[in-house]
Amino acid sequence: MRAGRMFRVVAANLERSRNHFMLASVGIVVGIATFAFFISLGLGVRSVVLGKIFPLDQLEVVPKSLDLAVGPLALGGAEVIDQSKVEELQAIDGVEIVYPKMRLTVPSLGIGGKEVLGADLRSEMIADGIEPDLVTEDIDGERPFRDFDDPESPDYVAPEPCETDADCGEDRYCGNPPAHKRARRNDDAEPAQVCRHYIPIIASEHVVELYNGALRRAHGFPKLNPDFVLGIKFDLKVGASMVSASAKDSIIREKGMLVGFSRKAITLGITMPIGYTKRFNVAFGKPEDAQRYHSVILVVPEKDDVAAVAKAVEDLNLEVADTGAEQAALLIAIFIAVFSLVSAVIVGIAAVNIMHVFFMLVYERQHEIGIMRAVGASRGDITTIILGEAAALGLVAGLAGILLAFGAAAGFDAISANYIPDFPYKPQSYFTFPPWLIASSLGFSVAFCVLGAFLPARRAARMQPAAVLSGH
Amino acid sequence: MIRIRGMHKSYSTGKVVTEVLRGVDLDIEDGEFISVIGPSGSGKSTLLHAVGGLDSDYKGSIEVDGKDLATLSDAELSGYRNETVGFVFQSFYLLPHLTCLENIALPAVFKRGAQMDTQAANARAKAVLEQVDLAEKADALPTMLSGGQRQRIAIARALFNEPKVMLCDEPTGNLDSKTGAAVIELFRTLNERDGITVIIVTHDPRIADSTPRKILVADGSLTEVDDADPDAEADA
Repeated sequence: MRAGRMFRVVAANLERSRNHFMLASVGIVVGIATFAFFISLGLGVRSVVLGKIFPLDQLEVVPKSLDLAVGPLALGGAEVIDQSKVEELQAIDGVEIVYPKMRLTVPSLGIGGKEVLGADLRSEMIADGIEPDLVTEDIDGERPFRDFDDPESPDYVAPEPCETDADCGEDRYCGNPPAHKRARRNDDAEPAQVCRHYIPIIASEHVVELYNGALRRAHGFPKLNPDFVLGIKFDLKVGASMVSASAKDSIIREKGMLVGFSRKAITLGITMPIGYTKRFNVAFGKPEDAQRYHSVILVVPEKDDVAAVAKAVEDLNLEVADTGAEQAALLIAIFIAVFSLVSAVIVGIAAVNIMHVFFMLVYERQHEIGIMRAVGASRGDITTIILGEAAALGLVAGLAGILLAFGAAAGFDAISANYIPDFPYKPQSYFTFPPWLIASSLGFSVAFCVLGAFLPARRAARMQPAAVLSGH
Repeated sequence: MIRIRGMHKSYSTGKVVTEVLRGVDLDIEDGEFISVIGPSGSGKSTLLHAVGGLDSDYKGSIEVDGKDLATLSDAELSGYRNETVGFVFQSFYLLPHLTCLENIALPAVFKRGAQMDTQAANARAKAVLEQVDLAEKADALPTMLSGGQRQRIAIARALFNEPKVMLCDEPTGNLDSKTGAAVIELFRTLNERDGITVIIVTHDPRIADSTPRKILVADGSLTEVDDADPDAEADA
């Protein structure tokens, strides 16, 4: 009841002094808008840079490089990680899960894209293999990412014979048996054809960004929407290469289908379930190649654990690939800190202005304060009323500042969308406004207003009511 | 009962210190109707403010119902002003942005202990508004009222918490003689009917003459004025 009545006194005071308060709050509004705008910009940029370009919660572990520069060549040792090292990496504290990756160690060619680009692209393929379970969250169920040709899988279905694609239904094709090597010169006997699933392929969004940002311009191709290229099919010739010296004597003809995008896919190239790369590598190499990985992704959920995990990786005679994430994170942190400081200065100056306005109001209202004291207000009541006005002012100014920041952010995004040319990783919005930013902006605004009104409130509370009511 | 003993009060202006009350003593019984007279600057209002707990910067003691005001905390002194005394000032001191009803109910905002809900506060404010014959002005702003009406609203505010003591600092100073007389008559009614102790600081000899007891404040001391002694009143 007492609080409710006090609130009504505060509301009435705000209402009749609204012009003073509106002028006084301009600085707070600008300061909070600056704070919210630049922090949200920093967070937005960080989510793009650290979320898409340099994922900070993932460390890619590679064999320690012992490259020796000899003229134009760098001579190095065997660059693989075996199964025992993978298990040791999994045992490191702070590592949630490991994603072993196996690179395709034979050249391969990809041919396709006509249905989207109007003409087939022919390109050397760099391919990685990863465990399908590790990208489940990135792939929708419509086009599964799994190893259809693994006979040890519980879902394995032996391929049935066929003569044409029509015998195999919409999602399969009629082709060679899995990992069937045939001589390049077509001098071996044609094997019996069977219904095959397309090799499910995922790619990094980097690939689309690079295509849309640079490659398409050079070739005059249309811009691609990542959602609409899913399902695109292409031929994959493992063992073939545009560099004739690299081509193997035999090739494996496969067909692939793009089923999704994932941050866990190789940055440039294609990624398939690891069973395929194992089989291809063994087909062109030795059986032990099935246990030789080229890198391992470690997921470290807590940023605070990253340094310790990196040290443990070093102790295993491996190293963390330098992604530039640390430098990017540092630059963004500096950016956020600088603009937080700038906005703190603006809000601080505004708080001084608030203090002047409240000193003036306290002087104007000294008789009122005197009469409130005469009818029973304590010093604490007077302080509460004045700081309550300041808090309400801070709340309203903070909300206005946040709305201004939202408006400025929307304007910035609109200008970017309409007038700034596309570039790799150009985001739809540069800003992120998490709930804590809204709450801290309001808290910041209220705190500075209350701080600004503190001295005037103290002076008002210490006024001798007898003196102000009698003019002494 | 109000009991003042050895009260000293001085004001400083730069290096000049003016002692307005020099160790004064005074006893006031419950239900008395007293006027305090004296020249300007003699300390009449100072005495009133000290008794009302508005000024605690004095030496000596002021006891009200056995409680020494000088020993009370700010919160306790505020509670005393809220519940035990009611002030009426020459300049009315109504809050211009509040209606008459809201002005009268202002003490409820600062009431301690058992709280009064809005409905009860408004009902009480209306009751005292009727006591001062201004029931129809409940929703009016003070700026819409005459001086006499404003003073009656101020009296209604002072009556809101049913005080034991009314402290009136030149309550008719801004009113014409007819309105002033009506206001004094209202105080008399409150004193006689409700037993409220009324202390009026005034320059008006007619008001002073109409009270049963007169205190003269002059030269830092208090003197009981006997109507039979013409010299004492002439000093006022």
